[in-house]
Amino acid sequence: INNIMTSYFIVFFCLLEDVLRERPLEADGIDSVVVVDSVPQVGPELEFYIFSDKTINYDSVKNYVFRGFHMHWLEDPDCRDQYSVIYESGEQTAIFSNDSKEPILVEERAVKTYVRWSLKGTYLATFHQRGIALWGGEKFKQIQRFSHQGVSLIDFSPCERYVVTFSPLMDTKEDPQAIIIWDILTGQKKRGFHCESSAHWHIFKWSPDGKCFARMTQDTLSIYEIPSMSLLDKKSLKISGIKDFSWSPGDNIIAFWVPEDKDIPARVTLMQFLSRLEIRVRNLFNVVDCKLHWQRQGDYLCVKVDRTPRGSGIVTNFEIFRMREMKGEGTSVVVLKSIIGFAWEPNGGRFAVLHGKSPRINASFYHVKSNGKIDLIKMFDNQQANSIFWSPQGQFMVLAGLRSMNGALVFVDTSDCTIMYIVEHYMASDVEWDPTGRYVVTSVSWWSHKVDNAYWLWTFQGHLVQKNNKDRFCQLLWRQCPPTLLSQEQIKAIKKDLKKYSKIFEQKDRLSQSKASKELVDKRHLMMEEYRRYKDSAIQLYNQQRELRLQLRGGVDTDELDSNVEDWEEEAIEFFISEEIINLGDLM
Amino acid sequence: MKPILLQGHERSITQIKYNREGDLLFSVAKDPIANVWYSVNGERLGTYTGHTGAVCCSFTKSIWNVLTGSADNSCRLWDCETGKQLALLETSSAVRTCGFDFSGNIIMFSTDKQMGYQCFLNYFDLRDPQQIEDNQPYQSVPCNESKITSAVWGPLGEFVIAGHENGEINQYSAKSGEILKTAKEHTKQINDIQSSVDLTMLISASKDCTAKLFDSTSLEHIKTFKTERPVNSAAISPIMDHVVMGGGQEAMEVTTTSTRIGKFEARFFHAAYEEEFGRVKGHFGPINCVAFHPDGKSYSSGGEDGYVRIHYFDPHYFDFELEA
Repeated sequence: INNIMTSYFIVFFCLLEDVLRERPLEADGIDSVVVVDSVPQVGPELEFYIFSDKTINYDSVKNYVFRGFHMHWLEDPDCRDQYSVIYESGEQTAIFSNDSKEPILVEERAVKTYVRWSLKGTYLATFHQRGIALWGGEKFKQIQRFSHQGVSLIDFSPCERYVVTFSPLMDTKEDPQAIIIWDILTGQKKRGFHCESSAHWHIFKWSPDGKCFARMTQDTLSIYEIPSMSLLDKKSLKISGIKDFSWSPGDNIIAFWVPEDKDIPARVTLMQFLSRLEIRVRNLFNVVDCKLHWQRQGDYLCVKVDRTPRGSGIVTNFEIFRMREMKGEGTSVVVLKSIIGFAWEPNGGRFAVLHGKSPRINASFYHVKSNGKIDLIKMFDNQQANSIFWSPQGQFMVLAGLRSMNGALVFVDTSDCTIMYIVEHYMASDVEWDPTGRYVVTSVSWWSHKVDNAYWLWTFQGHLVQKNNKDRFCQLLWRQCPPTLLSQEQIKAIKKDLKKYSKIFEQKDRLSQSKASKELVDKRHLMMEEYRRYKDSAIQLYNQQRELRLQLRGGVDTDELDSNVEDWEEEAIEFFISEEIINLGDLM
Repeated sequence: MKPILLQGHERSITQIKYNREGDLLFSVAKDPIANVWYSVNGERLGTYTGHTGAVCCSFTKSIWNVLTGSADNSCRLWDCETGKQLALLETSSAVRTCGFDFSGNIIMFSTDKQMGYQCFLNYFDLRDPQQIEDNQPYQSVPCNESKITSAVWGPLGEFVIAGHENGEINQYSAKSGEILKTAKEHTKQINDIQSSVDLTMLISASKDCTAKLFDSTSLEHIKTFKTERPVNSAAISPIMDHVVMGGGQEAMEVTTTSTRIGKFEARFFHAAYEEEFGRVKGHFGPINCVAFHPDGKSYSSGGEDGYVRIHYFDPHYFDFELEA
């Protein structure tokens, strides 16, 4: 349930902590920003921020303070989510509000660009030759502009305070410019970095609280802290052979793995990054490759290990670490056939695996129990699927066969692993869940297929709600929401009272539905009247011209099909209808 | 009722036409023959042979003649019953579209812009045999800007309504050849123009993925029917407020590994509400032409797959109504 809190609360909660932490010292008042009391009164239109950074000048503050309110879209009375659409092969970008009847256009610009939403949906970034621009607020005004020639990739920090831009063009030894970190609020460039290759974007990975970001280079893991942008403890971590790392999405823990080195086996390590304490280590043998998959809340880590146990043939183990329970002994699941996809259920302890070789692809669902056992809940065989898409709220998911599998879609309710609907969006190339988990969009991108470019809206159960054709449609991206401000108790209470809320919503839906029906009926009525009026006048003219027609055809009336029956000849024709072979023997 | 499948052409169908009473269906294709079939059961009555190139159009009339035009740079007149070629009019470039006027006395055809030749709209009066003998049209209208891609006669033979490559629709006087009216509603090539059975309205099918309804006399734009694919052909029902449209991707864009066997569809729209209400599958490739039987109880479609399909409507087609 997405209850909409007032803007006042959202802003207040976001800022209070920051405000108190960054309370300026007395000396900072000189040639710096004016402090207004100790705790500002926050109104719905303005956000206040207090800086202790001496490099801020009056103009940038003025710019920021008066830029307006950015959470406007969350206040939609009908709880409609927004999404961006790129179409006309990339020449047009539009923002729509998701109404189940039909999309409501919010903003439309003719601008050749890719777009990216920030992680909480506040900003929309557009790419240009000279850099990126950030847009937001009710009218999508330009909030900030960052100059980075040839920028091709960006990344937002989880708190939306920073954005990282990458350009392959700019980089000099003295002044590293390939990767730049920008402060969105002040518009300032915070630091530049070299970049060996952008092959693994995101190069910088942010800690879940946004206080640190890290990157991996040869044998090294470097962790930087905010806002200084300098190395934590002034030095990087030497991890010989480090191949990959990732932050837990929920805690200040980093997972990384190191391949085999002579007689030292490969291993996966979980490290608490502040203390550098290695809280869990697991040795792995005959490892070909590892992939780290964190569950959305950081409750579980799955390490997908491709091994060659007897030197030939690849076997995949899934080593599961339970982060909330005790010294997690990871429990393994062995799946023999080729792995096509793996995905954790958000908000839950289930995961789905696609495995097998086409055309015999299987979808297996597992549940990690609290005692550490991993149960296979169900396996669907012979699936036309190459991708897994969980609802961001968990429980529901779509198995999709995209692109070469022609857009087969299976909607599954994993609470009992039943298939709700098997449908198809022919040649679908992408699937995107809305942030609430109510709707799913499947689309045929012009980048993938040159005809039938459109996006279709489905409910989470697999009912098709809308088909939206868009000339050379390229991409749809949902606007994310900030995390809910409701506590678990509040959510429980709302779920308990769901019947009460459902009644109100249903009434509202019925009214809007009948309004739509009535509107449609009225519209049709009008169109028919208009059409009849035209037809009547055309028939009038036709009747007036009857004489002329008779003249043109030498007095023969051909106005009706049976105008001159006397001319008809009757003829009896035999048609062959069917053949039946009878054995003479049967007749005797 | 199951559709009747006509297999008489080896290459893609370019046009199908019913005669006035509807008992005969003519089909022409990219192969050099024209076929005529009984529409009641699909039995072939005969074949007109003589052309040496793709036949791009044909038209029939209540009097027993058939007119065809071809990429072999000729327009030919045939006796419908015997199949005998009655006249041959040679042209400098491919004949794109042709037709008899209401009286049956005047024929028009357009030639393509090809090999240095302009697009021309030619008028011949059949009552003057000299014109045929000398291959001299009494009127030849050059189309400098955009070539004609499809054309039909007006209701009383006073003008020809032509669709052009640039999406324009023009009325050309049959006497003077000058442009009487213009409609600039489509944004891309007109693929087909067909008249309603009483000739009061016409429907244009365009590469811009729409079909539009116009009044034949005033060229007033009445309705638009939108799809997401180029429309190759459209026809107006003689008895219901329906139009049928056929289209599909360009041949070049259809991949050979497409698993959509038989899934190219003819689409039915409500003429007044501009809303789609039904589809009929069956063709293995894009649909190039559609036509309603003059009594409105059946329709036919010709496809890129070389097949012509005759469909008789189920009773509930006539009862179907959109809520209003």
